[in-house]
Amino acid sequence: MKKLIVLLAVAAMAATGCKKVLQEDLTGKVVGNDALKTQVGLESALTGAYKGLGSTWSTGFFHATATGATMGGDDITTHPGSNKQEFREFDQFQVTSGNSRTGNLYSGCYKSIQGANNVIANYKSTTGDPTTINIIAGEAYFIRAFSYYWLTRLYGSIPVLTDPNFSLDLLKIGKTPPADVYKLIESDLKQAETLLPNIKRDFGRPNAGSAKAFLADVYLTEGGWPIKDASKYALAATKAKEVIDNHNLYGFQLVDTYANLFENDPTKNGTAEDIYNITANTANGGTTEANYGWSAMPGDIGGWDDFFSELKFFNEFPAGPRKDKTFRLTYTKSDGTVLTWQQLATKHPYYGKFWIKGDVANWASSVPLVMLRYAHVLTIYAEAKARSGAPDQQAYDALNAIRTRAGLPVYSIGSLSASAFADAVVNERKWEFAGERTRWFDLVRLELVESANANKDPGDLQPIGTITKANYTFPLPTSEVLANPNLK
Amino acid sequence: MRTCYQSIRGYLSTRSAVIAGTCLILFQETQASPQKSLNNNHAIKSLTTCNQRAQTISGTVKDTNGDPLVGVSVLLKGTAFGTVTDAKGNFSLRSTNDSGTLIFSYVGYLSKEVNFNGEEKLNVVLQESSKELQSVVVIGYGTQKKSDVTGALSSITTKDFAEQPVNRVDQVLQGRATGVQVTNASGAPGGDVRIRIRGANSVLGSNDPLYVLDGFVGADFTTVNTDDIESIQILKDASSTAIYGSRGANGVVIITTKKGTKGGVKVNYIGQGSSSKVIKTYDLLSAGEFAQLVNTRNTILGLNPAYTPQQLASYQQGGGTDWQKEIYRTAAGQEHQLSVSGGNEKTTFLTSGNYVRQDGIIKNSGYSRYNFRTNINTQINDKLSFRINATGTRINNVNNQLQGGTGNPVVQALAWAPTTPVYDATGGYTAVDPVGSLKTNPVALLYDRNNLTQNTYGNILGGGRYEFIKGLSLDLTYGIKYLNQQNETFNGNVVTTNNPTASRTSSEQITYQGTNALNYKHTFNEVHNIDAVAVFEVQNYNSTTFNATATGLLNPSLGFDNLGLSKSASISSDRSNFGLVSYLGRVNYAFKDLYLLSLSVRRDGSSKFQGNNQFSTFPAAAVGWNLINENFVRNMDLFSNLKIRGSWGRTGSQAIQPYATQSTYSTAIVAFNNNSLTNGIVLGNPGNPNLKWETTTQADVGLEVGLFKGRLNIEADYFNKRTTDLLLNRPLPGYVGGGTYASNVGEMQNKGWELSVGGNILNTSSFNWSSNFNISNVQNKVISLGGVADMLFTGSNVGAAYSTQSEFVIVPGQALGSYWGLQYLGTWKPSQATEAARYHQVPGDSRYLDLNNDGAITSADYKIIGNGIPKTSLGWNNTFAYKGLTLNVFFQGILGVDKMNYSKAGAMTGSADARQVTLTDIRNRYIPGVNETSNIPAFSKTDIVYAQSSRFLENGNFVRLKNVSLSYVLPKSMIKDKIRVKVFVSATNLWTITKYTGIDPEASNVGSSSDVNQSIDYGAYPNAKVITGGLNLTF
Repeated sequence: MKKLIVLLAVAAMAATGCKKVLQEDLTGKVVGNDALKTQVGLESALTGAYKGLGSTWSTGFFHATATGATMGGDDITTHPGSNKQEFREFDQFQVTSGNSRTGNLYSGCYKSIQGANNVIANYKSTTGDPTTINIIAGEAYFIRAFSYYWLTRLYGSIPVLTDPNFSLDLLKIGKTPPADVYKLIESDLKQAETLLPNIKRDFGRPNAGSAKAFLADVYLTEGGWPIKDASKYALAATKAKEVIDNHNLYGFQLVDTYANLFENDPTKNGTAEDIYNITANTANGGTTEANYGWSAMPGDIGGWDDFFSELKFFNEFPAGPRKDKTFRLTYTKSDGTVLTWQQLATKHPYYGKFWIKGDVANWASSVPLVMLRYAHVLTIYAEAKARSGAPDQQAYDALNAIRTRAGLPVYSIGSLSASAFADAVVNERKWEFAGERTRWFDLVRLELVESANANKDPGDLQPIGTITKANYTFPLPTSEVLANPNLK
Repeated sequence: MRTCYQSIRGYLSTRSAVIAGTCLILFQETQASPQKSLNNNHAIKSLTTCNQRAQTISGTVKDTNGDPLVGVSVLLKGTAFGTVTDAKGNFSLRSTNDSGTLIFSYVGYLSKEVNFNGEEKLNVVLQESSKELQSVVVIGYGTQKKSDVTGALSSITTKDFAEQPVNRVDQVLQGRATGVQVTNASGAPGGDVRIRIRGANSVLGSNDPLYVLDGFVGADFTTVNTDDIESIQILKDASSTAIYGSRGANGVVIITTKKGTKGGVKVNYIGQGSSSKVIKTYDLLSAGEFAQLVNTRNTILGLNPAYTPQQLASYQQGGGTDWQKEIYRTAAGQEHQLSVSGGNEKTTFLTSGNYVRQDGIIKNSGYSRYNFRTNINTQINDKLSFRINATGTRINNVNNQLQGGTGNPVVQALAWAPTTPVYDATGGYTAVDPVGSLKTNPVALLYDRNNLTQNTYGNILGGGRYEFIKGLSLDLTYGIKYLNQQNETFNGNVVTTNNPTASRTSSEQITYQGTNALNYKHTFNEVHNIDAVAVFEVQNYNSTTFNATATGLLNPSLGFDNLGLSKSASISSDRSNFGLVSYLGRVNYAFKDLYLLSLSVRRDGSSKFQGNNQFSTFPAAAVGWNLINENFVRNMDLFSNLKIRGSWGRTGSQAIQPYATQSTYSTAIVAFNNNSLTNGIVLGNPGNPNLKWETTTQADVGLEVGLFKGRLNIEADYFNKRTTDLLLNRPLPGYVGGGTYASNVGEMQNKGWELSVGGNILNTSSFNWSSNFNISNVQNKVISLGGVADMLFTGSNVGAAYSTQSEFVIVPGQALGSYWGLQYLGTWKPSQATEAARYHQVPGDSRYLDLNNDGAITSADYKIIGNGIPKTSLGWNNTFAYKGLTLNVFFQGILGVDKMNYSKAGAMTGSADARQVTLTDIRNRYIPGVNETSNIPAFSKTDIVYAQSSRFLENGNFVRLKNVSLSYVLPKSMIKDKIRVKVFVSATNLWTITKYTGIDPEASNVGSSSDVNQSIDYGAYPNAKVITGGLNLTF
């Protein structure tokens, strides 16, 4: 009997607690769409949506990924040896699908799109302050448009997703042509310009003016290759004009001097000229900006030689305060020796405009990466106006404001034909935005890639093979095609 | 009599009749063989006859070392009178005759007959038996006589490693157990080690074996002090491991610790000291030669020379930095162990303390361990016994974690220019190498950062056993495994380029286990032997983690001890739980010790799965035929053992982490301005609610042969394992947010064979040579990926810029661990200039196989170029004994593996973050017009380096003289006879035979958690050559 009792006791112990042991305990985990039901949850999801755009050494724009991807422009080149093989692929028009530089941009943009899709899909059922919820949605639309804009310009036809929910069917979808991608980008930016406030909530966020400025830029791009819809130029001019006319409302203005514009002071959150910044803070390893400093400095003084000026570009660059700030011509070694750019190992001038204030010898900084400046908006208006009719006073004013700051003579109104004026603007953008990931896209939309790379200085890296329209976009990363053969 | 063979003491003592004083035992039959006496001990009928008048014969029984043997059965031949020896090995027996023969028998020793003829005292020495058949081995949830075993197991006992300076379980397993492959992925003391039993079954999950420590399932082997080990059983086939169900697929290692012995108190002290050095280093260029080479290369690339003629001349006169010398050192180590054991008739105890300290051969790295263990076993009465086993361990790890990539001092020592000094003019670390590496000064990587982990383990196991009736008993075990882990990290100004960081992480893990076992043993009609067990077991795991990380330390010297003094701090915390509920049963049946049958089943339920996938059943069956007990075999008079066995069974593998069926968010930190951080959430991997166990079905056949009276023993096994519902992480494309999607879709096979040969080659009165050789081979093949993809890619994330594609491919028909890369064809030769031009290249440039012949080297040209999972492992252990001297020579080897040598890729190509070549091998490069046969590419503007190619994939086979040691037991004449003193010297990793050109073919940057990409060497922490000396005192 006693034995039986012991046995029963054991059996009883066995039975109790079984259910509980087998119940998965989700304490501490954030699970499912309920996470976005509250305003705080939605805001957290929006914050997460920004992450893809800036995750140091991982995804997005914080290290020289976008600079590398735009190296086909005639403004920048890279080291002929060292660890710059992937940069050279862009400079020499031999980009392979395995290139990790575009891979980082690609995955970062799509990670942000996933986060933005999640906010957009859920914000209408979120409870909280409707004004704030609309702003959150506006930022999400902006991020999605910004990401798709970069993606379609880099890759042409791309997979497009607007739903955050995962299903295995998504691994079979095909590519969407640029025309349809641009429709989504336009629609998102139009949503953003109505939902966003006039004042940025923080330095790293967009306002309504940012959305309008990007929309103007998108329209300008659509006017050229590959969409080639000339009717977009008028839209670009109108939208840019909205920003210019309301620049005080949005807090945008030209910085007084070019030198101040590229002061690169980590203690300042950019300048009033910045339309949209990817902001950085060295307080966290993953939010640290790595485009300034060593990336733009020569190896002779400890830099990384990632990118520097092409020789012809430097030689033709009009002299003045803008050129003085854009390039650094002497370099002080740790032992005090001063080298000229001709004495550097690479025998090229480097971009002083991307050095950190005080010539700080470091790769890490809190200097934000400026994705669009007010000067861009001025030139968009000027060029679009010229291409959609004739440049007006405001167009001349826009161009001249930039030339004046650069120390160059102004054009008097009516002195140039519409097409000559448009060319003058494009030329001005070449110098004004040197190294700022602008020139490459100008060459692509205006189909000037071939001519701009035709007569390179013999001291520069030369294109390998013949440049064709196939070189205007890059192959999708290998991982994508492997995971979904329909993307071939 | 008392059976004291150590591994079974606890179980059998209850059933042994213990006779004290002058009482004698009457045996039912005379037994000379200890095997028989053990087999039939249940049948011993005892009868006491006291105070018989007769003459007294007394004496002492000792082993060959001169140690007294306790509990030896002494029987007067031809009678039923006998006794057992006491704690000092003494016996005394009354006989009615003045002369006769005494039979001495003892488990594990050869029986001996000694004639007496009126002597006062007999001194008897028993030889240890080479036969191990009579020994009892520990199996899952029980024990079994070796001769009754139907599964495939490998056993290791103290004597297999007693002669060698080992202090961790992995070192014991390495090369000593057939079918077990042990790779020291990291040579760091206390570093990571990969242990595999019969290969890797899982791509995604852990392939680590399950460790069972004195009955606690899922123990941590690093906490075990090897001096406490009594035996290790490695369960390999499914019939042995299926009893562990969902955790048995990777094999099971059962560790049994020493217990006290009855009679007196025994004290043992072991002390040893060691000195370690790196096994070899790379041949680096001198500063002068390097500077000349850089200038030559710069000129060819169209760059200005890096060094002026004056600098060149000065470096050529001498000076410069030998970076390898700066990071390696001769490291000291020591170990002390003190154990006290003993007991009386009812209670035995053993308590031991152990201290190990081992400095690493890389500066500022090391490991120390404090271990305390105590166990008490007590027999309350005939039916009831209790036991308790408590262990406390503290392990301090100093910078001995695996380091991959460019932040690794071993890599940077090959990348920093010899012309760059360690320290700058101010006395601080040189922050930037102007010519060589783009990364941090290797010496700063050693001293300007710290990664310290203190682990405190506790393992307490208590149990009781109650025998209701003879043969039927209930055994309850309750245990707790506890781990408190404190991790502290610091990265100083140099390492972070003036943004110092520090962190502390605190975590606590507790596992509870309750095991209720009902055992039944009985022999029916003297021929049907039944041994059955039914168990109910519950395990529950809880862990919590808390982390605080500070960035921008205001006072870096305060390190991780004052995180508040910083510009910014972030915190995180997490919790994880899972539970496992199991029901299991097994019946072992033996007919006349001839025909053996074992049937078992386990049903496991886990909280990691949902719905119908929560429970799974794992059955197994095995049969054996003890041919040696058949008369026709016995009559051949050839074999001392002959057995055939076969088994089949199913086991599972918990390849899934908790919450894998859920889609959870993770935290993301974003900066919206330069002085604050905002935490947000990002979608993690999508969860798959349909996940279930991976199941491995294994069939095994084995043959055991003993020849020449047990002097030669051979054991061979063939196995075939098939894992179905293989969990695969399907890499998700970037456009859906990246990450992976886990699903049970694949199928994989591991088949192979094992052979172990053990022999007593020479055995004379003064010289003995015994030798054990084992070899095992596993062939892995991926059978199916379930149609989700033609091939799956996975990268090591170690090679950084050297691996531009995923380095490994999983494809049906091929083995796991297949390298994906370009085929390197050497350099373009002058006669191939036209073809080279098609690739925009010139003779002297690297030539790769253009698979699709499209005139460009692209990702379409990648193919399988080798395999990184070792196929064959072997061990050869020799012991030579001459009087008190013992020489042990132990070889160990791993064959059938390719290693990716990124260390060399960096140092030979000057690509990626290493901008210059530093190895002397570069002297043999292709030089146009001078050396046009070389396959080391020339310095050239047009050369493109793809490190992920067969150029840097090397043969990683090696055979190593793992250990050679010499020990000497001091003769009694030199010391007091109560003390046994042994002194020894030993050398580890003295000699390695390999074609691998890196430092160490065994070391890798990939931890034991991964098998696919295990053979990557990118500055892996190399193993050390160790010289050890020490002594062992027993009294």
